Amino acid sequence: MTVREPDALAKTNRINMLIDFYEPLLTDKQRTFLKYYFHDDFTLGEIAAESGISRQAVYEHVKRASLMLESYEEKLGLLARHNSLVGWIGKLEETAGLLPENSEARMRLLEIAEGLKQSEQIGKTVVNEHGV
Amino acid sequence: MAVRIRLKRMGAHKAPFYRVVVSDSRSPRDGRFIEEIGTYNPVAQPAQVNINEEKALKWLQNGAQASDTVRNLLSKAGIMTKFHELKQQK
Repeated sequence: MTVREPDALAKTNRINMLIDFYEPLLTDKQRTFLKYYFHDDFTLGEIAAESGISRQAVYEHVKRASLMLESYEEKLGLLARHNSLVGWIGKLEETAGLLPENSEARMRLLEIAEGLKQSEQIGKTVVNEHGV
Repeated sequence: MAVRIRLKRMGAHKAPFYRVVVSDSRSPRDGRFIEEIGTYNPVAQPAQVNINEEKALKWLQNGAQASDTVRNLLSKAGIMTKFHELKQQK
């Protein structure tokens, strides 16, 4: 029986966001194991069987790669910056929503929010791995 | 045959979106799944969880194993509690 992780979802959410920011800094191997584990939610056992290494070795790869991501974030802080920006964009859109429907000011504010999203490259490329 | 319920990441760059899917443990890699039973959007405030309760319970009762992440979601939606209650009744 494997140990249940009560915060598995929170962890998956965080690591997947970190992957979006720091993926280019990872090695092919790190990327592969992280994506199997966090994008596809495969078990360590499944990944082990697929790659012909032990479950323990997969665990070590996933753990070490996750630590790499956290160390990049600690140094560069791109995710923290992104989260803060997204929060402010949300407030901007909320404020725009308070203005009359067809007002010039409302349209301008929404345009600015859109521009900020684009410069932050939110939703730029579609994530698509392992087919599907 | 082991059937698993897992979370599959979809969506765009920096805008994750997940599907809750039922798939066969033997061929995880080809990405095919048996059935989609829900979605999860962590970006929305608050996060949106849509799970077909009837289908989820059906799969769990048939012995499908939910991953830890999916268990978290099912617990949030109150489905794990219902599953355990149903198990007690038997």
